[in-house]
This record gives sequence, C-alpha cells and structure tokens, in this order.
Amino acid sequence: MTGSTLFYAQRLSAIFLLGYTIWLSSFFLLHQPLEYDAWSQFTDQIIFSVLTSAFAFIVVIHSFIGLWTIGTDYFTSRTLGFLSPAIGKYADTIRGAYSLLFILWGCLVVFIIFFIIWS
Amino acid sequence: MSTNGNRARPVYINLLQIKLPASAISSITHRLAGIYIFFITLPLSLFLLYFTTKSNNNFMLISDLFKDSILLSTFVSFSFLVFAYHILTGVRHLLQDMHIGESLQASRVSSYIVFFLWFALVATAVWRIYL
Repeated sequence: MTGSTLFYAQRLSAIFLLGYTIWLSSFFLLHQPLEYDAWSQFTDQIIFSVLTSAFAFIVVIHSFIGLWTIGTDYFTSRTLGFLSPAIGKYADTIRGAYSLLFILWGCLVVFIIFFIIWS
Repeated sequence: MSTNGNRARPVYINLLQIKLPASAISSITHRLAGIYIFFITLPLSLFLLYFTTKSNNNFMLISDLFKDSILLSTFVSFSFLVFAYHILTGVRHLLQDMHIGESLQASRVSSYIVFFLWFALVATAVWRIYL
C-alpha cells in the first residue's frame, strides 16, 4: 500500500467516525436522563446495526494505521536506544510483538461488535 | 564535511532534551489518547453496549453501579473524556489537512483552543459527577 492510500484511508475513516460519534452523542444529549426504553429502541433500529457494523471495520482500520505510524515512529532502535541500548537492539522484535498485539486486539473488537449487534 | 567533527555525535534521540511547542504537545497527546481509546475506551464501550441493551434489569444494574461507585464512574468518565480529547485534536488535524489554519501562529492558537474546549468538558464532567 502506498503512503497516500494510508493517508487518505486514515482521514476518510476519521470523518466517518466523527459523524458516527456526533450521531450517537446527539442521541445521548437529547435523551437526558437516559432510560432503557429510549436506548433499546434506538439500538434496535436497523440503521444502528448497520452503522455500528461499519463502525467496527472503520475504527479498526483507522486504529491500525495510527498504531502502525506510532510503532514506526517510536519503536525504533533510535528511540528505544535512548531508554537503553540493549533494548534498542531488539526494536524490530518489540515492534513486531506490538503490531501482533494490536492486530489480534482489533480482530477481537470486530468479532465482539458483530456478536453484540447481530446475536 | 562537518566542522565539528570532533564533537561526539548523538546516536539516540534524547527525549528529555526536546522542548515541545503547544502544537506538538497536542499532536503527541492525540496519539497517546488514540492508544488509550483502542485498548481501553473501545472495549469499555462494548461492555456497556452489551449490558445496557441486554435487558431493563441489566441496564438498571449498570446505572446503579455508576451511582454507587465513584471510582467506576470516574474511570468511565475519564475514558470518554480521553475520547473527546482525541476527537477535538483530530478535528484540528483534519482542518489542517484541508489547509485551514496551517501557519505557525494559527496552529499555536488552535492548540490552545482545543485545550480550552477540553478543559471546559472536563469541568462539566466534574460538575456533573461530584457536585
């Protein structure tokens, strides 16, 4: 994938997530204090299931790009070497483990969202 | 060739020697908030979504839990305030990507605006939870 693809994927996903957040927040603001009936009616709508499923994939894509950027910026031998040169030598391994962790975590998040929404 | 060839050249970045301007602080905290959201706020929201939509009893259980435990309500509020911070700084970054407020001066001012808006949100949350 090219850098510009990742750049635009990051920004476009951010716009979707912003819209979703505004939509959800406006529901909470309009239904104060929050009660079960209004909340379950809102979450039972098909539009909630569809948008939240889209949210699951988009939030994970957005997070992967962001976390990957953080990994390549900070988990390098130059920056980890500042903590200790011994740690710096294992920068690639540390970054690999960190990437594996967030990828597994992200897949789990998508799975759980789909479980909650569609079960 | 370099004129100060005798001087020891740094091999690693000394993070303690770097002084960050307001815009850089807002950028790096945006990243830290992002990590926090991915590993804490996101699973927390899923937990809340699952139990609050399960049944009226579960909904009441969760809302009583918040009323009884100041620790829990603080943790949950903090987690969503971190999310709000990520959104605020994120909107600032999106505007800059669209070439709005890119100058050094504008970027400094917008960082302070974002900090101010977030502190206002924190104050509102503190007001609602503790007072």
